[in-house]
Amino acid sequence: MATTLTPALTVTQPRQRIAAQNRRQELFGVFALIVLVFLILGPISSVFLWAFAERWRYPSLIPTTWGLSYWEETFNRADIRDALPLSIGLALTVTALSALICLPAAYAFARLRFRGRQFLLLSFLATNAFPRFGLYVSIAVVFFRLNLVGTIPGVILIQLVNTLLLMIWIPTSAFQGVDRALEEAALDVGASRWRVFLQITLPQVLPSLAAAVLLTLVSTFYEAQGALLIGLPNVRTLPIIMYQLINNAVVVQYGAIVSLVMWLPSLLLLIVAQRFLRGGAISAGFGV
Amino acid sequence: MAATSTLPPAQPPRRRNYGSLLGYLMVAPPLLIMIFLIFYPAAQATVRTLFVENAQTGASAFSFARYSTFLNNKIAVSNLAFTLAITIATVFFLFIICFPLAIYLRFSTSRIASAVQVLALFPLFVPGIILAFALIRFMGNRGTVDTLLSLLGIKGFVTPYLRPSGIVIGLVWEGIPFTTLVLTAGLRQVDNALIESARDVGADSLTIFRKILLPLVKRPALIVFCLNFIGVFGSYTIPYLLGPAAPQMLGVYMQQTYGDYQDKPGAETLAVISFLFCAVIGLLYVRTVVRQRGER
Repeated sequence: MATTLTPALTVTQPRQRIAAQNRRQELFGVFALIVLVFLILGPISSVFLWAFAERWRYPSLIPTTWGLSYWEETFNRADIRDALPLSIGLALTVTALSALICLPAAYAFARLRFRGRQFLLLSFLATNAFPRFGLYVSIAVVFFRLNLVGTIPGVILIQLVNTLLLMIWIPTSAFQGVDRALEEAALDVGASRWRVFLQITLPQVLPSLAAAVLLTLVSTFYEAQGALLIGLPNVRTLPIIMYQLINNAVVVQYGAIVSLVMWLPSLLLLIVAQRFLRGGAISAGFGV
Repeated sequence: MAATSTLPPAQPPRRRNYGSLLGYLMVAPPLLIMIFLIFYPAAQATVRTLFVENAQTGASAFSFARYSTFLNNKIAVSNLAFTLAITIATVFFLFIICFPLAIYLRFSTSRIASAVQVLALFPLFVPGIILAFALIRFMGNRGTVDTLLSLLGIKGFVTPYLRPSGIVIGLVWEGIPFTTLVLTAGLRQVDNALIESARDVGADSLTIFRKILLPLVKRPALIVFCLNFIGVFGSYTIPYLLGPAAPQMLGVYMQQTYGDYQDKPGAETLAVISFLFCAVIGLLYVRTVVRQRGER
């Protein structure tokens, strides 16, 4: 519409034009909101409803009978009972290992000078440049010869692959952002290097490090494909149980209840995340 | 390389002597893990598809036998074509959906915009396996959509579940947050003042989009394209749980070849073929990120 306006005219009536543009813009916003509510929240809500349904006959829009009896039944299943602590333990172990390995490296990438530093930092992009499942299959072939298939160390190793980029790139950019003048000032008044690190450097990077650790913890908890290829038949994590529950869905409620329970960590992350997701921390984790 | 220009100013000289060695020691553990878990398996798989062992003599010789087996397998080739089609469709729909969303989120500051942003980022917090379950309940036979339509008296609902469209829906759902996030971040680099001054001299929305926004968002868009392409190509959970039994995407086919048929060389060949198809895209991704960082 503005194409026909001459510059002079535009200047005289900017307010109307901007108002019209805003109206069009917000019309799109309302449309997007409605579509997103239906398509994003719709599927999720059906999980919630099924978890608390005793019976749900077609074509009722909500469960015909509500109840909690399936919760007890679900947690009486031996496979689910074993999988929950295993999944939590694995996620904690992988995250701790990843932090132990990657955080010193991130510090070195940000603060020490050595040849090829930039190149080595960028080389971690390779973790994103391979099609995931193809990579897992080639890892599985190697692990098979090393007798790592079906073992917990094997699963830990394959889950470690996914954590590297995130655990190195987010902390590296955090360490790079530290205010050096503050550190120098503390050194000048006689603080030890260790004290400067603990009291000046660490507080500045802590939110980003926490973000990296939390993201790693949650994404490892949900990692299913690597565990499926390497873990079976001995190691069965919660997501692997979910494959089975979906495929042999005789009782829909089992899957819904396990989904809900499994989803808790992610919901907690969602609540905590609002704080540190603004700073673009996530993009760094994707290697952008 | 161009990226070295971004190195921060030199450190105080006192750290320099041992800093270099210490630096290598500190970055060695994750590098070794990456070499052992990514480069070594990928290289090994590639070499082993090219040097085929003779069953009688045990000697290995260079040969394309494994690839010709693949090419002569009609199912395998149709699965590859299917994977490419799904990948292109998913990437296409992601752009169609997320570009307008990102532009809207970039320019609107209303309450509706913050609600749209929260919803668009929400799938980031829904793991693939839960998504698959949720979508089956939502769009499957007798699911939410089916029920809604039948209550409205609309007949003839055809579920996308266990159809190719089911895979695309699931993968697009998963990809929306990342795509929107990166595109919005790219658009945020554009200064408001620049756009306003363009408007003041009479530029219409389309011109502003083409001349100002598009060039600046080119790189983020390229990164998103590459990561989405590779992500979809290497996906397993969504195509396995939401897709048809045939044709299959390569991930599903690989898992079947490896697990159910116990054909490790066959699975390895499929893996290397998936590497080949993603190699150019992967290089493009790395190059784009390197350039982007170089200019920062």
